[in-house]
Amino acid sequence: MLIHLPIAQVAVDPLILVVIGMVVGFLSGLFGVGGGFLLTPLLIFYGIPAAVAVSTQANQILATSIAGVSAHWRERQVDTQLGTLMLAGGLAGSTMGVGVFSVLKAFGIVDATISILYVVFLSVIGGMMAWESINALGKSDGGDPGRRTRFRLWMRGLPIKRRFPRSGLYISIIPPIGIGIIVGMLAAILGVGGGFILAPAMVYLLGVPTRVMVGTSLFQIIFLTGYVTFLQATFNGTVDLVLATVLMIGGVIGARYGAMAGKRMKAAQLRLLLALLVLAIAGRLVYETWFQPRPEYRLEAVA
Amino acid sequence: MSRLALPLAIGLLAVAFLTGAPAAAQRQDGGDRPMMSAGIAEDRIEVQVNYSGSEIVVFTAMPQPENDTLGLAVALVGKMTPQVMIRHTAQGDQRIQFVAAPEVFVFGEEKAVTDTVTPETMVEAGLSARSAALPRIEELLSPELEAWRTALVDLKTDQGLYTTGRVQFRHFEGGLRRANIELPLNAPPGEYTVKAVAFRNGRMVGESRQTFTLARGGLDATLFDLSQQHGLVYGFVAVFLGALVGGIAAWLQRK
Repeated sequence: MLIHLPIAQVAVDPLILVVIGMVVGFLSGLFGVGGGFLLTPLLIFYGIPAAVAVSTQANQILATSIAGVSAHWRERQVDTQLGTLMLAGGLAGSTMGVGVFSVLKAFGIVDATISILYVVFLSVIGGMMAWESINALGKSDGGDPGRRTRFRLWMRGLPIKRRFPRSGLYISIIPPIGIGIIVGMLAAILGVGGGFILAPAMVYLLGVPTRVMVGTSLFQIIFLTGYVTFLQATFNGTVDLVLATVLMIGGVIGARYGAMAGKRMKAAQLRLLLALLVLAIAGRLVYETWFQPRPEYRLEAVA
Repeated sequence: MSRLALPLAIGLLAVAFLTGAPAAAQRQDGGDRPMMSAGIAEDRIEVQVNYSGSEIVVFTAMPQPENDTLGLAVALVGKMTPQVMIRHTAQGDQRIQFVAAPEVFVFGEEKAVTDTVTPETMVEAGLSARSAALPRIEELLSPELEAWRTALVDLKTDQGLYTTGRVQFRHFEGGLRRANIELPLNAPPGEYTVKAVAFRNGRMVGESRQTFTLARGGLDATLFDLSQQHGLVYGFVAVFLGALVGGIAAWLQRK
């Protein structure tokens, strides 16, 4: 059985889309990442035009993030203060990132820059997380990384300190905003929500407990993806609501089971799995960018 | 077959009946052979819409139906748009622009046609997908043109827009034949042509062509129009939909 997507203008099997939505929703509920870095390539691989895939995944992630965050909210594992600060930085960073994107585009180096940035960030973050979480699993009870790590020594001297009771932190507001700006910029340049960068940054740089990180990350993603969905739908008309609806059905189901699975795992196990996922995406990108043979012919959109 | 589907709603079309063979067909018939006419019956192109796709049904009246060498070939061609292709080579990218090429090319033929008609005759009859792509004048004599055209057909076939063999023929008494043309679900709205060509002994003996407009209706068209004409409303609807589905899921989780 096939259905026609009105904006993507392709015929697809809704069951396959539901399964894709479930897989990404599961990861979203488990790790607190939006899943755009996974959903977009999956949709493109299935034949959805890239512009529609990028825009519509934001709409799907909006729904799964709302569904996912509710479970964490009830367990008081969402730090709204911290999330709001990072969101403010993220929106400012996104705006700056759009400008940087335009400059890169003008110089004709946007594709190369995106690929290199992706590979560098994914590899460094994934590698560090994997190393740390393996050590944590071997040495302790598999909980959160130590609070007094050398990553966080530099934060102590910063001004404008605030207390974040939900995360158990007393830190300057500058690092969360700064992280939000950097993530927002990268999100705008790379075309993803940035959850896979934000999540480890919260744990390792700010010292947010892993379980609070998941809920807070989802909280921030709700607003960011809502913003992106609105902009893409309003100005580009590339959000396919039929595609989004089908993906959402799978996504919210997957997110629920992802959150349930997350409760049964140790924090270090969660971080190790996320690290492996991030490294797998980096590996795939390296292959696609430098090793995958390009098709001899291709069609180009006519302006 | 359900009619609750959202895919397509297409206007019905009346098709004129050709009573005589076209001039080209008459030229091909030698004086020692009997004249023969072929055409699309005066009927309509009926579009059946369901979850698995749409069909265009063409009726044709074929004289001398007892003649075993008589066969019918049909093609749905449209909409014609400019197409730009890129070829990746070791020396760099090459490009070509087809001034017009069909977005959709659905072709089907009866066995008698398969057995007797040469590819060159198919090109003359306008039933070759490769020849349907029109390059710019300066590229007409390019030795690379056939390779570009072949690649275009391959790419469009991969997209499911060019198909062969997705036409079902049925014979009725009195020479009436029906061709069910399966319309690709991703066929874009626009102007299309249905060609029906009759062949006898490998030669074209009659043809009919009719243009119609493919339009979308129902939810499909509503969403498309909303996205293109009322972007602000569409943006709010998109965010509302995401929030609504997420909210319902969150509510169900609490239950």
